[in-house]
Amino acid sequence: MGFGDLKSPAGLKVLNDFLADRSYIEGYVPSQADISVFEALSAAPSSSLCHALRWYNHIKSYQKEKGSLPGVKKALGQYGPAGVEDTTSAGGDAADDDDDDIDLFGSDEEEESEEAKKIKEERLAAYNAKKAKKPALIAKSSILLDVKPWDDETDMVKMEESVRSVQLDGLVWGQSKLVPVGYGIKKLQIACVVEDDKVGTDQLEELITAFEDYVQSVDVAAFNKI
Amino acid sequence: MALRELSSLEKFLGLKKPHKYSTQGVKKVPLLQSNNGPALVGLATIASHLAKEAKKPELLGTTPEQRAVVQQWLEFRVTRIDECPREEIRTVLKDLNQYLEDKVYLAGNSLSIADPLLYYAIHHIVVDLAVQEKERYMNLTRWFDHIQHYPGVRHHLAPVVVLRNRVYTSCHH
Repeated sequence: MGFGDLKSPAGLKVLNDFLADRSYIEGYVPSQADISVFEALSAAPSSSLCHALRWYNHIKSYQKEKGSLPGVKKALGQYGPAGVEDTTSAGGDAADDDDDDIDLFGSDEEEESEEAKKIKEERLAAYNAKKAKKPALIAKSSILLDVKPWDDETDMVKMEESVRSVQLDGLVWGQSKLVPVGYGIKKLQIACVVEDDKVGTDQLEELITAFEDYVQSVDVAAFNKI
Repeated sequence: MALRELSSLEKFLGLKKPHKYSTQGVKKVPLLQSNNGPALVGLATIASHLAKEAKKPELLGTTPEQRAVVQQWLEFRVTRIDECPREEIRTVLKDLNQYLEDKVYLAGNSLSIADPLLYYAIHHIVVDLAVQEKERYMNLTRWFDHIQHYPGVRHHLAPVVVLRNRVYTSCHH
């Protein structure tokens, strides 16, 4: 509820929209509700806000009967369309002083929402702190790759060098050994540790097979989660 | 129709003894036969007479300008609305809507006899308006909703529901 800050153009626009299909702030007769909102305005609304201006001029004509209009003056935040944020607690200008004595409902709500806000913030901070600790447990895996050359003439040293030249964030190369396959051909078995979020096996395979001179194919021999 | 209006008007004005009306002519102009004096013919005339009889002359307007405006709207009602052909209705509604843009009541800042009489007159039109049209004639709808909730006005007529529909708000500024 509330119109937002009635001294700002945005608040006046909300008031204008609200009054488009209403003659009065509350109900169908002029009441203290109209007087409350009237007093919150610093001047007549501009003629572009035709509904607000109409209402303003109309309520002005009741100046003499201000005191005798029905209803009880409530905080500004109690009037207006539902769903508009109540900024009267943050607004804090002279208009609030008048309402303090009669402000039975308004002040309670405002206090509550401030408390609720504090609690929310505390909870958020605790949650974020918890989340911050998580990075210590990054998911890692140990992969054993089989890199196969074209034939027994392939320089295995060069091949290993080129494989190790693949540098990725989250990739750490480990031990390697040459395993004979047959016919004099040896395959390179090389281990590495990767962070699951950052490196994938397809990525690794692509990068290694890019060295077409040396590498015929790459296979994943073993894949273990750490 | 006019006779029912007059009886509702009497109730609104708080007149205890209802009058006996009759109609005159093809167009069924209402006629009030008073005990001492000539008969009063015509809706506007009878309505003004009733307001004075109920000792509520303020309903006819407090200042001369306001009185003139009240009479203007009574005349408007009789001439432009009561016999209104279908094509003209849109124009009439548009004119009313424009007039009511900066006014809460038809004449001045308080209810006058013109408001309920005009309300009775256009009720059958407004009841049939689509939501989109009600949005288009926003000021008229607002005034209509206001008058129909005024204590004592709406007697024999069905209340018209007024709902804002955000989809159509671009039709008016």
